[in-house]
Amino acid sequence: MASSEKTSDQTPLLEISGLKTIFPTDDGIVNAVNDVSFSIARGQTVGVVGESGCGKSITGLSMLQLVPSPGRIEAGEILFYRNADDEPMDIARVSPKSELMRQIRGNEIAIIFQEPMTSLNPVYTVGNQIAEAVMLHDQVDKKTARERAIEMIARVGIPAPAQRVDEYPHQLSGGMRQRIMIAMALCCSPTLLIADEPTTALDVTIQAQVLGLMQELQAEMGMAIMLITHDLGVIADLADEVVVMYSGRVVERGSVDDIFYNPLHPYTQGLLKSIPVLGRTPQSTLPSIPGTVPHPLALPVGCSFAPRCPERMIACDAMPELVGINGKTENDEHAVRCWLHTDSEG
Amino acid sequence: MTKLLEVNDLRKYFPIQKGIFQRTIGYVKAVDGISFDVQRGETLGLVGESGCGKTTAGRCLLRLIPPTSGSFIFGEEQVDLAKLSQQELRPFRRRIQMIFQDPHASLNPRMTVGDIVGEPMRVNRTETGSALQDRIVELLESVGLRPQDTRRYPHAFSGGQRQRIGIARALALQPELIVADEPVSALDVSVQAQILNLLAELREKFQLSYIFIAHDLSVVEHISDRVAVMYLGKIVEISDAETLYQSPKHPYTEALISAVPLPDPSAQRKREHIRLEGDVPDPSQPPTGCYFHPRCRYATDICKQETPELRQVAQGVQVACHHSDTLALQGV
Repeated sequence: MASSEKTSDQTPLLEISGLKTIFPTDDGIVNAVNDVSFSIARGQTVGVVGESGCGKSITGLSMLQLVPSPGRIEAGEILFYRNADDEPMDIARVSPKSELMRQIRGNEIAIIFQEPMTSLNPVYTVGNQIAEAVMLHDQVDKKTARERAIEMIARVGIPAPAQRVDEYPHQLSGGMRQRIMIAMALCCSPTLLIADEPTTALDVTIQAQVLGLMQELQAEMGMAIMLITHDLGVIADLADEVVVMYSGRVVERGSVDDIFYNPLHPYTQGLLKSIPVLGRTPQSTLPSIPGTVPHPLALPVGCSFAPRCPERMIACDAMPELVGINGKTENDEHAVRCWLHTDSEG
Repeated sequence: MTKLLEVNDLRKYFPIQKGIFQRTIGYVKAVDGISFDVQRGETLGLVGESGCGKTTAGRCLLRLIPPTSGSFIFGEEQVDLAKLSQQELRPFRRRIQMIFQDPHASLNPRMTVGDIVGEPMRVNRTETGSALQDRIVELLESVGLRPQDTRRYPHAFSGGQRQRIGIARALALQPELIVADEPVSALDVSVQAQILNLLAELREKFQLSYIFIAHDLSVVEHISDRVAVMYLGKIVEISDAETLYQSPKHPYTEALISAVPLPDPSAQRKREHIRLEGDVPDPSQPPTGCYFHPRCRYATDICKQETPELRQVAQGVQVACHHSDTLALQGV
């Protein structure tokens, strides 16, 4: 089940560039997602990691045109390659309520959320809810949809699917509800699954079950996964590529080994050092990052991490670009947004 | 080291009531006979998954909810806190304090920080007037807040700072034991480390003992001297932190450790993953024999029939498993 065994043919599925999602508020404009660029290849798992308020969830919602009002996508492209051979389409330009967006949602890009209780409708049986998703996207009758629902429930590893299909969400445990969410998300064989903190509400042994299930289904169905989480352990377990976000921006991006064994941004380094790791001889003090995440309406001038950064210097008063480490281009595999790794001439 | 608290056979059963007469038709055995002790200056970690009874156990110790049975022998006086009346309990209340999980819900939004931190001292009349104000400032400074914060309200603070306010309040009466129930699980990763460091620093400074209740095994390992693992209301294993994580003796502990994803991709790829099947059983209808046997990959016939007792298998290591002598379980 190791991520190295996974096959991804490296043809792009989705390319986000310069994405900016804003929320106008009475006190000013919040740039929830600010100049975010990364890409997801077919069959690949991209982990997006960051603390609360860093914009990781809004990035996921932007990709489905589901940004809650009054938020909106202000700039940038979300190029989606619906078929490997065709020209990509730009999701950022599709109207949220258009027929085209509704076809993409669920059918081609599906999403699962953190809290499986609040994302399921308590007054319908789970079978009903999966069948509804099937009927919305495929022209099938009720009976076929119900059979598909039973098949999906069996596929996500829930015992006695023929009985479970007629149960209500409250009759299921948290882990089973999240399995139902996965079944619903995957019933139309999407090419991309956005998983927003899929296991945060679950106990650790149930988390292991759900993560294992996601890996098995990915190997079977070949979809790409965008995994949004704050848990670096989950990222290490599943992701091929990692995007680290801070205050709405991508601060570092690279392969999972780059990020964990050669982190370049002081924030990534601080984050990795500050978590207690099971089995490492406990130290009396954990190296912690001082201070807190800045308020989105009072971001510091220049690099947002500078006030908490141990390596702060004068250059940090200006915002550095996200630059590749080897080729010095933004498309480079390992890229970082930090003056320490930016040539002053460049 | 001297013993600060000794818990013997603590039980908390919640009745399940039904019908208009509220007839009791059964019990949820949230805590089902646990025994442990806490030495002075020690941190005991209490880990387990949701519904294992760790929070209920913590609340019983503070007599926030009345225990069904059991005794807690506390302090040099060797007083059994479980038997005292509310009146007799009062002098002991200030010696055991609690830190809660949710820093948003555990602070009164209408009180200033100064009032929140000062309230325990006002209620217990330990300090008054300017001495009280000085003490509040001193407490705030010891948890890393500023003196001018006394006049601000909780909403003006971030989650980590709010947790600091909760810690200052818990310290106000100079307690000997603090029960911390998931004190860092609502916090962001970078802030979590700050609070863990603060708790460790305060432990040294004020010679505190902690009962640290959490579900996150890595956090518990980091802060605890000894760790007790709970499953379905029972303690399945207690030992010092290092032994527990390096060579667990109970199959449930082994599975819990294996389920934690390590933030280390290549180690994570190499690890053998033990995946527990199914969910934690319904605590109102626990399985026969060992409660863990339906999910245990080493279970044999005896596990289905006989409930294993918690027994000493080595110096400081207690485990409740029929097969702990013969199993070679893997740690981290």
